[in-house]
Amino acid sequence: MSSILTESQRDALSELINIGFGRAAASLSRLTGHRVQLEAPTVAIYPIQQLHQALGELVQGEIATVHQVFSGPVTGDALLVLDAHGAALIKELLTGEPALPISVDASAQEVITEVGNVLLNACLGMFGNLLQVHVSFSVPQLTLETLRAVLDSVTINREELRYGLVVHAAFRVRHGAVSGYLVIILSVASLDRLLDAVEGWEHRLDR
Amino acid sequence: MERRDAALLRWFNDLAVQGIFTTDRDLKILSWNRWLELHTGRAAGVLVGRPLLQAWPELVERGFDQYYHEALNGQVRVVSQALHGYLLPMRGRRGNQSMPTMPQTARVAPLTEGREVIGTITIVEDVTERTVREAELRSRIDALDDARERAQAALRAKDEFLATLSHELRTPLNAVLGWARILRTQRLGEKEMARAIETIERNAGAQVRLIDDLLDMSRILSGKLRLDLRPIDLAGVVSTTVDVVVPSASLKGIALRLRLAEGLPPFVGDPERLQQVIWNLLSNAIKFTAAGGTVDVVLESTDHGVELRVHDSGQGIPPDFLPHVFERFRQGDASASRRHGGLGLGLALVRELVELHGGTVVAESAGVGQGATFSVRLPRHLLVPDPGSAPDDPLAQGAALPLKGQPVLVVDDEPDSREMLRTLLTLPGATVSVADSVQDALDTLVRCESHQRPGVIVTDLAMPAHDGYALLARLRATPSLAAIPVIALTAYASPEDRRRALDEGFAAYLTKPVDVEALITTITAVLARGAPNGGSPPPPR
Repeated sequence: MSSILTESQRDALSELINIGFGRAAASLSRLTGHRVQLEAPTVAIYPIQQLHQALGELVQGEIATVHQVFSGPVTGDALLVLDAHGAALIKELLTGEPALPISVDASAQEVITEVGNVLLNACLGMFGNLLQVHVSFSVPQLTLETLRAVLDSVTINREELRYGLVVHAAFRVRHGAVSGYLVIILSVASLDRLLDAVEGWEHRLDR
Repeated sequence: MERRDAALLRWFNDLAVQGIFTTDRDLKILSWNRWLELHTGRAAGVLVGRPLLQAWPELVERGFDQYYHEALNGQVRVVSQALHGYLLPMRGRRGNQSMPTMPQTARVAPLTEGREVIGTITIVEDVTERTVREAELRSRIDALDDARERAQAALRAKDEFLATLSHELRTPLNAVLGWARILRTQRLGEKEMARAIETIERNAGAQVRLIDDLLDMSRILSGKLRLDLRPIDLAGVVSTTVDVVVPSASLKGIALRLRLAEGLPPFVGDPERLQQVIWNLLSNAIKFTAAGGTVDVVLESTDHGVELRVHDSGQGIPPDFLPHVFERFRQGDASASRRHGGLGLGLALVRELVELHGGTVVAESAGVGQGATFSVRLPRHLLVPDPGSAPDDPLAQGAALPLKGQPVLVVDDEPDSREMLRTLLTLPGATVSVADSVQDALDTLVRCESHQRPGVIVTDLAMPAHDGYALLARLRATPSLAAIPVIALTAYASPEDRRRALDEGFAAYLTKPVDVEALITTITAVLARGAPNGGSPPPPR
């Protein structure tokens, strides 16, 4: 259902996010003292109603979600979604310490919050720069819930037509790799603004 | 409104159980709360107005300046303890213990007025308790994982054992049932009939041995196996056992050679258990030796006692299995396709039974195809001291019994030790009575007719309630018993203990483990020193 994006829009978005990922990877590497790499992202856009189905195929079971609300000229919700295994693995790879079951490991929860915070801010920061607007963020919150509960909490009481931008993020740290998903939920107006700006940016690059 | 805000801020400043500080847009410190003053040891009065990154240069060294610049840019930053350890260097405390660095988490966030960022706010939290709790939880989980792995290994061993057991129980049953059916349904010739009955007997016998092994192992594991110690002719036990396995050796074409040293002293042991030891070693040797091979059995006297060696020219033992040969349920080849039957209990039983006798058993093999040698060493203290008697018949002649007819009372609270002493003293002819406490001993003595009264008492020193010294004192206080010499037999072996015992009036002092010869000699000497019945009491101390 990612046909909403044209080929060139997808390329441009991927490239933009990749730059954000590069910054996030650099800052994670500095933070942890390990070389953190983020693979080139793949992106897709889904109408919010289809988000559960689309994501449900990608992450299963109990999930850890870092959630930040962003506001300003562009508003929406930004999520980093990891399955329980990925969540535990991130902590182990970054700190070198074995994780406990994620629900009782406050240290792991915090590491994931910090990593999610860095990653989400890097991506949204790129969007803000591109749109030449200032985006501000809420304090990142970590939840351990099912995907359905997480998505319900961000879609509840909001009638407007919204879309979810789903970005596959794969970390490589030391000997391990962890996959997760960034989900950026935008109103149709915000999405249109973003896509216009992304295309404009690419045209400028092409020239 | 403003006054209320100020009051609120003051309370936040004083009451917060976290560290809270704010800066302006230029990262100059605007406020520094009470908690921070307390834990960093730096007062707000000194810090407010100073640039944060100059007041705390560590923040720059550790890359946190980036976080503050990002906060000024409107972003919230999380400082997790697991990744950074702490934000500000300050001493921590857990209970009474001081820690060089307090584990912290922090949030660094923009301070905004409308859309404009006017500075930063940082909240620092002490997470000592949490990190300690997680570390404890982790070590508990690790311990549980270990325990689970061990339990699973035990379960696997048990499963393997049950599979083997079922196989081993069925194999002889097959033969028994099969031949029984043939006997019932077919008319057999005399020769075949004899063969059928022989096979049934042999297989039923094998199964009985299997079950006996299992029961023995179970008794040993629960500590219920007791040796029936008596003087035996060890060479006789060995050759009888060898006779039992001769048929199976010759059936397999294995030469069985026996060499028994001449003039072995008599020996105290449990003949049936020793026979079991020898039988297990021999059947093991025969089982793992191919046709044309040899099995040598040697029994000889050594400096330390007696040694029995069973050497075979068989398939040998791989070096990596050698350390495990005496473990229960362990077999060199536990696979389903293994060629040799058995439960893997035989050698484990051998070791347990030898150790119950106070001996040791070792296995040696130069490797696969190199044969194997099992050596059982039984200690000298099991040899019966019998000066002057014919070595093979210690009890036959009265003259050979130094304590013949001599009543002796043994006092020891430990049943095994008591029974061992009873056996050891009965062998040289003493009439032994036993008591398990001082009171029991006194009761026994009072009950005795004076002519049956023990001429000597052998007592343990350490006993619950009343000890050997108390016994001595009670005896001395009782005129009719005061003359009986008392020998102390104890595990307390220091020179001071010895001196004290002799000073207190014990006739002699011997240490455990008991040296049989010394005990008998001492008893003889003590008896010779003074007439036990109605004679003079031992010299006062």
